[in-house]
Amino acid sequence: MPSTRDIRRRIKSVKNTRQITKAMELVAASKMKKAQQAALSGRPYATLMASMLSSLAARVDESQHPFLVERPVKTRGILLVTTDKGLCGPLNANLFKLVTEIKEPAKYYAIGRKGSQFLARTKRDMVASFQVHDRVPFGEVRSIVELMVKNFTEGLIDTIEVIYPRFTNTLIQTPRVRPVLPLRNLKEFIAHLADSTGSSQAPISDDREMLFEPGLRPVLDALMPFYVNRHIFQLVLSAKASEHSARMVAMKTAKDNASNLLDDLTLDYNKARQSAITQEILEIAAAQFATS
Amino acid sequence: MPLVLEIVTPAARVYSDTIDSVVIPTLEGEIGILPGHIPLLTQVDAGELRVMKGGKVEGLVVGAGFAQIAKDKVSVLTESAIEEEKIDENIVEEAMRRAEDALRGKESLEPAEIERLEGIVRFSVAQLGVKRRRR
Repeated sequence: MPSTRDIRRRIKSVKNTRQITKAMELVAASKMKKAQQAALSGRPYATLMASMLSSLAARVDESQHPFLVERPVKTRGILLVTTDKGLCGPLNANLFKLVTEIKEPAKYYAIGRKGSQFLARTKRDMVASFQVHDRVPFGEVRSIVELMVKNFTEGLIDTIEVIYPRFTNTLIQTPRVRPVLPLRNLKEFIAHLADSTGSSQAPISDDREMLFEPGLRPVLDALMPFYVNRHIFQLVLSAKASEHSARMVAMKTAKDNASNLLDDLTLDYNKARQSAITQEILEIAAAQFATS
Repeated sequence: MPLVLEIVTPAARVYSDTIDSVVIPTLEGEIGILPGHIPLLTQVDAGELRVMKGGKVEGLVVGAGFAQIAKDKVSVLTESAIEEEKIDENIVEEAMRRAEDALRGKESLEPAEIERLEGIVRFSVAQLGVKRRRR
C-alpha cells in the first residue's frame, strides 16, 4: 500500500490534468459551435452550385473543358486535410488509414501539420504542405487549390481528390475520399449531396434547350474554377468542424476519466489514512498496556 | 404560374419566395424574368436585382455570381447579397475605402486578393448607387 503522501501527490497531479482537459474542452466547444455554423451555412450554396454545374455538364461535350476530360490516371493528386494539433481522438489516425490504403502512385498535398508529418514519415511524395487558420479564410484555401489545379492542367497529376473527415454531427465524423476533378458522376454526387443536407435541392430536370449568356464557353470558364475553389473550401470547413468536435469529445472523455480516477484515488487515500490512524491507536494502546 | 426565386450566398440562403417577376443584372445587361422563361444560365454582375411581388417592387443588391433559370425556378448564386433597406451607407463607404486603400499597394498583392478586393468595391459601388438614386 502506497503511503498517504504518495497518494496525495497523485491526486494533485490528476486534479491538474482534469483542470487542463476541462479548459480545453470548453475552448473546443466554443470553436466547434462557430466551425459547425460555418460548415452548415455553406451547404445550400455548394448544393446549388453543383446543381447548376450538372445542368451545364449534361449539355456540353466533355472535350469542351479540361476539367471534364477523363484522362488515364497515372498519378493521383490527393489533398489530405488534417489538423495542426493533436489531442483530437482518432480523427487523424482514421484519415491516415485511408491514405495507407492507396497503393497507386500519387502526389500529396497536405493541410495541417499532422498530415505533413505523417506523409514525411511514411516517405510519400508530398508536393506541398499548408496550414489553415481556424476561421478558414477563403483566400488561404484558394491558393492551395490554385496550385493543385495548375498541376492538374499541366498533367503532373491526373485527378484531384480530397481526403477529409466529413462532419456528420458532433459525435460522428467519417473519413472520406472525395473526388473533385475530373468532374464525373455529377448527378450521383448531387443526389448524395441533397441526401446528406436533407434539403430538397434535387436537380431540376428541364429537357428544353438551355441558353447560356454570354456564351457556353465563357460560362464554363468562369464556373469551373469557381466551383472547384468553393467546393474544396466547403470540404475544409467541414474538416474544421470535425476537428473541433472530435477534440471536444476527446477532451470530455479525458475529463471524465480523470474524475473517475480521482474518485478511486480519494477512496484509497481515505483508506490509507484510516489504517494509519488505527495503527497509531493500536500502538499507543499497546504501549500503555505494557507500562501499566 | 408563379415564379420561385432563391438567392444563396456562402453565408446563408438570403431570399426564398414565390414572386411575379424579377430583373437580374447580368454581364450582358439587365434581364427581366417572367414565368415560362426559357432555361438559362448566365453570369450575374454586381448590381441591383428587382423583385416584383404582388404589385410591389423590392430591391436587393447582389455581388458577382451566376443565375440559373429552369422550370420557373430562378436560382441566384452570388458572393454577397443585401436588401435595399438594410444598406448602411456609412458601413459601405468604410468597406469601400478599406478595399481601395488595400488596392493602392497593388504590386505586393496576390492576383486572387486583388480580385476579391475589386469584388468588394464593385459590390459597394452598386449598393451606394441604389441607395442614392432612391433619394
